Amino acid sequence: MATERGDEAACRRLVDAFLPAIANVARRFDGGGGVHRTELLQEGVAGLLFAAQRYDPRTGTPFWGYASFWVRKAMQELVAEVTRPVALSDHAVRGLARVKAARRHHLQAHGAEPTGAELAAATGLTRAQLESLLAIDRAPRSFEEPLGSDEATTATFGETVADPGAEREYEQVLDKMEMKAVRDLADGLDERERTVLWRHYGLGQAPQTLSRIGSDLGLTAERIRQIEKEALEKLREATARPPTATGDVA
Amino acid sequence: MSSGNVALRHSAFLYKAEHEYVTRSVAFIRDGLDAREGCIVAHSRDWIAVMRDALGPDAERVAFVDVGATYTRPARAVAAYYGTFLDQLRKAPSVRALAEFQFSPALGDWDEWMGYEAITNLAYAHLPVWVVCTYNTRGLPDRVVDGVLSTHAEVLTGDRWRESDHFGDPREVVRRITPEPEPLPELRAFSPGGDLERFREQLARELVAEKVPEARALDMLVAGTEVAANAMRHGAGIEALRVGRAHGRFVCEVIDRGSGFDDPVAGYLAPREGAGTGLWVARQLTWRLECFHSPAGFTVRMWL
Repeated sequence: MATERGDEAACRRLVDAFLPAIANVARRFDGGGGVHRTELLQEGVAGLLFAAQRYDPRTGTPFWGYASFWVRKAMQELVAEVTRPVALSDHAVRGLARVKAARRHHLQAHGAEPTGAELAAATGLTRAQLESLLAIDRAPRSFEEPLGSDEATTATFGETVADPGAEREYEQVLDKMEMKAVRDLADGLDERERTVLWRHYGLGQAPQTLSRIGSDLGLTAERIRQIEKEALEKLREATARPPTATGDVA
Repeated sequence: MSSGNVALRHSAFLYKAEHEYVTRSVAFIRDGLDAREGCIVAHSRDWIAVMRDALGPDAERVAFVDVGATYTRPARAVAAYYGTFLDQLRKAPSVRALAEFQFSPALGDWDEWMGYEAITNLAYAHLPVWVVCTYNTRGLPDRVVDGVLSTHAEVLTGDRWRESDHFGDPREVVRRITPEPEPLPELRAFSPGGDLERFREQLARELVAEKVPEARALDMLVAGTEVAANAMRHGAGIEALRVGRAHGRFVCEVIDRGSGFDDPVAGYLAPREGAGTGLWVARQLTWRLECFHSPAGFTVRMWL
């Protein structure tokens, strides 16, 4: 509460207490677009103090659970700001500053993002001017930019950009993900079971009779039939068993 | 405080601001951890990182699921979550899960995913799990919000959970959004061959002729065996078989002589007492399964 009131000593104590956590978040942005670590920390502290003003302990959410979002957001905005390659006119810079100030003020007063109409009313800009400025402010992104700051992330921004033929291609991506799951399924078969199935049903080769397969393996046709039945039952049971959700990043 | 769930509780949390998601979600998960429940957060990788930060050291006790890898098809998503819940229930008496919805590029697919939400009410009904589906409503069409309200029994509004006035019977919701099967005149007939082995041999020839990759061909052989076996066991025998390509996909139809069934969620419930295995297996291995009455007989159509 003392922090909410702007008590300097309380703010300092708060920052001291959470600086290690802020530094932890900053590590995810280190090296991002030439932003210095101290700048990230400063923005993180600003995010923390912003959160402290708005935090409501009655929600039951621990303070850091709430504040970490604003700390990260402040750092993201700094990185976006610094890495924007487009040079702006003084007029555009001043306009953008007005928009950002109005947004911050609205957030503090109402606890929610302003609508376009509210921003236009607060800044005196027309909707068209507002939209132009916001469009400029969206930093152009490289297709190769990794998505997210998770070190394990391999996906890139380019992969999220839709194109007109996307629907079918999206399905093909899903098919490929599921084909991998099926290959995992067949991996549960032993070499002999795989051989029998692939040869009997002509997968990747001409189909063969059970007798021919048996002759090659030194077994009767009836034994081959049993092996095939066991293999199919294995595949059935493996499919009937629900998998766990894939992509667990724990 | 434990949710006290002995059976499924399926709720929706509609939010506008991202910080609202974080605040509520962290509180929800922390309650679960305090009650020693299994806790799951399903979201994009980016947001999993946000939640990890927000939960701090407690994140080690939470299972995180990358929804990008899970929401491929409704049947696979049902199976994956079901398996994950069972896994968690081996370690805890009840589970709570947060799952953020992910849309495919085609919003028209929303109907299929609304069906998935409806099926959730049945697929996990017997499990002590509290699933909260989270939706960022900024920019979400009204049609989608209506769908959320019709498939979730309760919704978080403000600080309160309230019953949804629009919650619909899950089977009726699925029936309503399931499109009528297309005629597909381009499919060609092939002979069933008398037993399952001959059926597979014939089907394999068709799969090879259509240049279906080996791994997927195996999927169809296993799925087709299940459907054909059902037709022979429960459907008074196979009346006809048809195969071919439609919309770029390999299709196989098994038409039987029986009276069939009328269950829009057939094959979506994991095998257990009262829910058989055959259609579940077929749904897991194929892209889509349609079951319908046609002039030729009761038809099960598998799309690969």
